[in-house]
Amino acid sequence: MDKTVLIVEDQDDLRLLIRLTLKRFGRVVASADATAVPALVAAERPDIVVLDVWLGAAISGLDICRELKRDAMAPKVVVLSACGQQSDIDAGIAAGADMYIVKPFSPEGLESAVATLLAAPRPL
Amino acid sequence: MAERPTPDTEAHRLQVLLSLNILDTPAEERFDRITRLAARLFGVPIALVSLVDANRQWFKSRHGFDVVETERSVSFCTHAIQQDDVMVVEDAAHDPRFSANPLVTADSGIRFYAGAPLAAPDGARVGTLCLIDRTPRHFDADQCIVLRDLAAIVANELAAVELNRALQRQRENEAAMRALIEYMPEGLLLLDADGTILYVNPAAERIFRCSPHELLGRSAQVVLDEDMAALRARTGMPDLTPVEVRGRRADGSHLTLEFTLNRMILDGERRIAAIVRDISRRREADERSRATDERRRKYFATATHELRTPMASVLGFSELLLKRDFDPATGRELVEIIHRQAGRLVSLINQLLDLARIEAGGKEDFDIRALTAEELIDQTRSGLVGLGDTERIQVTLQEGLPRLAGDLQKLQQALTNILSNSIKYSAPGTPIALETFDAVLGDRAAIGIRIRDRGVGMTPEQQAHVFDAFYRADTGSSVPGSGLGMTILKEIVDLHGGTVELTSAPDAGTTVTMVLPAADVHHG
Repeated sequence: MDKTVLIVEDQDDLRLLIRLTLKRFGRVVASADATAVPALVAAERPDIVVLDVWLGAAISGLDICRELKRDAMAPKVVVLSACGQQSDIDAGIAAGADMYIVKPFSPEGLESAVATLLAAPRPL
Repeated sequence: MAERPTPDTEAHRLQVLLSLNILDTPAEERFDRITRLAARLFGVPIALVSLVDANRQWFKSRHGFDVVETERSVSFCTHAIQQDDVMVVEDAAHDPRFSANPLVTADSGIRFYAGAPLAAPDGARVGTLCLIDRTPRHFDADQCIVLRDLAAIVANELAAVELNRALQRQRENEAAMRALIEYMPEGLLLLDADGTILYVNPAAERIFRCSPHELLGRSAQVVLDEDMAALRARTGMPDLTPVEVRGRRADGSHLTLEFTLNRMILDGERRIAAIVRDISRRREADERSRATDERRRKYFATATHELRTPMASVLGFSELLLKRDFDPATGRELVEIIHRQAGRLVSLINQLLDLARIEAGGKEDFDIRALTAEELIDQTRSGLVGLGDTERIQVTLQEGLPRLAGDLQKLQQALTNILSNSIKYSAPGTPIALETFDAVLGDRAAIGIRIRDRGVGMTPEQQAHVFDAFYRADTGSSVPGSGLGMTILKEIVDLHGGTVELTSAPDAGTTVTMVLPAADVHHG
């Protein structure tokens, strides 16, 4: 496939896991640095962003998601988080996430979720 | 001898007399001046204030008469109190009621008697003001009137006895009420309808740390952050529901108060009685327990997060290995990740359980005994195998230190956590100095153990969080760690009643100083 996937995850092992899981969709760009996300989105024009929530003390993945979704042309966002309480999930959806997946996760589950989101038409 | 009259009201009359509490009391000028005056006025040798008791008549005042009391059976007054008006016996020798009376038949006995009854405030006739002479006399109506008037004055004095006693009782009641209010442990304010302070009790003065003159006549807003109208609206008088209000002490400091208001009418004026309680301490305790709850919740959330992250690697990579094909080198790399993350999971769970056990068990679970710092350090060093180059640790023991009071196992764990950080975060080959020294904890002898490395050190910001659970100054994951080592260290040292301090500067190394109480030499 020819999609672009952006992974934002500060754990090296998990970044590799997600990269391996999603590489069949096309190009995979991965970053450990949350502050670089807006620039990466602008430069790489990803179709989908896989976003961790706890990305260091200063910045939350939910803030990044909210910021991205202010743009009508925003990519799909999958929030991938170790925070699994209902209130966390609600907060993720409220921040505009298209999907909220709790760690630990099944790579196959993530793969099919991403496939579903990419199959849906992007807003024009 | 004449029969003694005992009417139905006799019991009541005696009750009233007793309640005057006047029988057998010393002579008093206020009665004596009346008998003196009566004797002079009527020209008689004897004038008496006679009180008729059950079996005697007792003289509260005696003019010209030495006898304190006489038997009631020979009493003239017993007869006098039977009638409303003055009883006059002009010559007892010729009166059938008294002619055989021994007081009459005696040498220079009684011949003349005139007695006016003394009425208590309720009308009960308790005695007489009487005149006595040893010769027969005539006593006319005008004289009767004068005697009755004098008797009325005596009756007033008797009433005054009662009045004074009532006054005394009231004073005692008032003193009791005042003492009650003054020693009442809760603050009491009396306010007018506008909230002006009319009275404060000492407890309220203590609450506001004010003297009364700083409060009296001033608005309650001097000590409250809320005006009276708002407060009254909130209290829902007259339901007497306590409300919480922020208050101010004289020194400007704030406190949390509980106010209960009640309204009343005092001398026709609308007034408010307020009970005021200082609940600052209760609120602070609530706040502390809220903070503790919040910390626990955060701790739990963090622990969950920290556990899920390595679990995600273990679950995810193992699933990939099962479902996909990888070249042998990649496959092996993924298995290594699984193994590493599983190891991390195990150590995290162990540390979490350690911390939970220490917190749950508290000091009771500690096996505290007297042990030497040397013993602790030797055991810790021999347990460090596998943690890296432990030869770098240079131990300097101060001579003659007392033994310390501690749980060897727990303190070994604490010291291991410090040393393993020093080993992990300082360059290979750089020395790690471990020394012991004399210290004090308050006024108790103590043993200090200091560990100084020349490692990467920490910024002040990092130092501030170093004892927080899951905090890792090193956010890159090149060095494995749970972020619980220093938390466990602190918990262990705290439960020993010791202290632990950390000083550090980036690139200048870190010094951790642990001070532990000495074993009590007398009981140790």
